[in-house]
Amino acid sequence: MDHLFLMLWHALLVSVFFAFLWRSTPTGRRKLFLKTFLIMVVGASVLGWLMYPFP
Amino acid sequence: MTAADKNTSKGKAGKDKATDGQRASWRLLAVAWFIPGSGHWLLGKKKRAIVFAVVILCGFVTGVLFGGEIGTPKPQSPFSWLAALACLGNGVLSLGRLVWLNGVGGLLHGFPFAIQGGGNPSDAGFAYGNTFLYTAGLMNLLTILDVSDIARGQKD
Repeated sequence: MDHLFLMLWHALLVSVFFAFLWRSTPTGRRKLFLKTFLIMVVGASVLGWLMYPFP
Repeated sequence: MTAADKNTSKGKAGKDKATDGQRASWRLLAVAWFIPGSGHWLLGKKKRAIVFAVVILCGFVTGVLFGGEIGTPKPQSPFSWLAALACLGNGVLSLGRLVWLNGVGGLLHGFPFAIQGGGNPSDAGFAYGNTFLYTAGLMNLLTILDVSDIARGQKD
């Protein structure tokens, strides 16, 4: 089981969902998708590294 | 042209639409809950309907494949009701899975505390599966609110 793949898959589904829920234009959807996807993936990766030293 | 005239001119799609300030039809909301994406489809938002249906279906199937448990109420565990509510948001997907696991008779006789939700807590994918199942259900609940907004003319 690849944890990174699951995180990417989850982030993809949620980002697509909110892009279509909250924006009505293709440009707006693309921007919101990229923003939410990157925030989730980069944020989770950074948090993971920050938690690394802790048991 | 009044808002009511606009709604009636849209034919079937406008049939379940409410005018500004009114409540959305409960039948429309019930259908939107039962079949993910169907509420938007009925309101003529077909592209959005397909995307929502696919996203929710993918989330649900991923959750089931990874051994997630459909949330069911458990005695002495108030938070299990929240999990049950989130999973119930999947509509027919959740109900179908529960019938698959329990049978119709088992579902009726086991309600509320003896229903089996599947999944095995010792499996590595259990928590991941649950997350996908909860997320899919909550997303479908959000689509119901969106359908309500669109039907009331609060949103395009």
